[in-house]
Amino acid sequence: MSSTTTRKFHKDRGLVARMYFTMVMLGFLYAVFALFLLASGTPLIFIGGIVGVMLVVQYYMSDRLILMSTGAKQVSAEQEPALHRMIKTLADRYEMPMPKVAVIDTAIPNAFATGRNPKNALVAVTTGIQQRLSERELQAVIGHELAHVANRDMRVLAIANFLVTLTSFLMTMLFWNMLFGGMGGRRSNGGGGIMMVYLVTIVVYFIGQLLVLALTRYREYGADHTGAEISGDPGALADALEKISGTVAKIPDKDLRKLQTANAFLIIPAALKGQGSMNLFSTHPPLQERIKRLRELEQRMRYGLR
Amino acid sequence: MGWFGGSKAPKSDWSALSTVIKAEAKLQSLGEITPSRRAGIIYRDSDDNAFLQDIETELNTALYQGVGATKTAFEIKDDDRGMRWIVLDDGKFDDLVSSVYTVGNAITANGAGDKLLAAVFELYFTGTVEDNTYRSSLCTYWIYRYDRRAFYPFVPTGESEGDRDRPTEARLGSDLRRHGLIVEKSLTEWMGLWGIPF
Repeated sequence: MSSTTTRKFHKDRGLVARMYFTMVMLGFLYAVFALFLLASGTPLIFIGGIVGVMLVVQYYMSDRLILMSTGAKQVSAEQEPALHRMIKTLADRYEMPMPKVAVIDTAIPNAFATGRNPKNALVAVTTGIQQRLSERELQAVIGHELAHVANRDMRVLAIANFLVTLTSFLMTMLFWNMLFGGMGGRRSNGGGGIMMVYLVTIVVYFIGQLLVLALTRYREYGADHTGAEISGDPGALADALEKISGTVAKIPDKDLRKLQTANAFLIIPAALKGQGSMNLFSTHPPLQERIKRLRELEQRMRYGLR
Repeated sequence: MGWFGGSKAPKSDWSALSTVIKAEAKLQSLGEITPSRRAGIIYRDSDDNAFLQDIETELNTALYQGVGATKTAFEIKDDDRGMRWIVLDDGKFDDLVSSVYTVGNAITANGAGDKLLAAVFELYFTGTVEDNTYRSSLCTYWIYRYDRRAFYPFVPTGESEGDRDRPTEARLGSDLRRHGLIVEKSLTEWMGLWGIPF
């Protein structure tokens, strides 16, 4: 992208709509839940306080926590000049300050970003991914990670996770409470009330979990989309994902004629069977689906269809 | 693909095979490929099957007589790996696909369905558009496996086993799926056919 004209962002409107809908649903779910808990006399403020402190610590220290837990080492521009230059170029395109750069010494190809806002961002790559990917592909991967920072995904997910963690905390507490009847005496309506609260908590926990999963999925597609818009080359990330996942290496050397017997009657639903084996690498959303969407975007950019 | 990631297996060879018509037309309209006219059906010959023993006469009947006969030209060839090919040639691509179906169907109906290995279509990416997706004049094969009822692309780079352009195939696979072709999901099933005799 040598042109200096300002790049116009074409947001995936459907995706943005679904994302906001999910966020509103999540907010609504927990607002109703909080009201319900207050009405039933559960010590909400106490539990909220504990979980809140935990998450605030995590939120503000995420970069240091990541560095500690993954063995990532922060590197200076002198130590990794090429990587620094690449990240600087990308950060400029996103109009964000230069993030901290870290390298993890492992053959496993991976990359991630963290930080509550662009000013406190950290981008880490493994030595494995540096070796495996071409410059164009690595640039696409880092572009995707910076898109997470630019879209403030850590903040959105931190809040969502806070609510889910809170519910799971409450669920465990209520469970032990019912077993041993700890604070049961405080309220006069006894066992029936707490059972009710417990059941509602379970339901809220599962719905919340589903919504958070949907939200991460949309954020992931969103980052793919933003990254592609910034680089103008959606195919680069698709190539990188294909390479990392080892998808391409699965195509066999074998000749079809060596297949023992071709059983025309033995129809294995080809469409269904592949599903399980492909999920080895992918978490959420499936890698295949992401690659598919990126290829679609590539095609749309190529032919100018929108 | 639905909400739970599942999709239905095609009910018949025709419902899977016919998707190639749409994909070919789409790629032509985008200026990525030149019109395609050749296909081959590969099968294991059998001495105890009367239909296969008399294949030329049978194909003459199937392709040249009766209503809806496509009159596709055909040729029988043996490859160097002990297999027999029915090579079809037709200037009209949908007739070519119909003929591929007719031949496979006739073989199955006469008790030799388990001898059928694959149908192979030959497609040329010539890049009539500027900045085409694939390198210019790339010869690709789209292999339809009868036992899987699905297609996959095959781009050989040489005559010996294992010589294939995997990145291009992976990419082509997702492009073709988007253009409506039923593509084999499990990449480990994308077995090659080296030395295609047409």
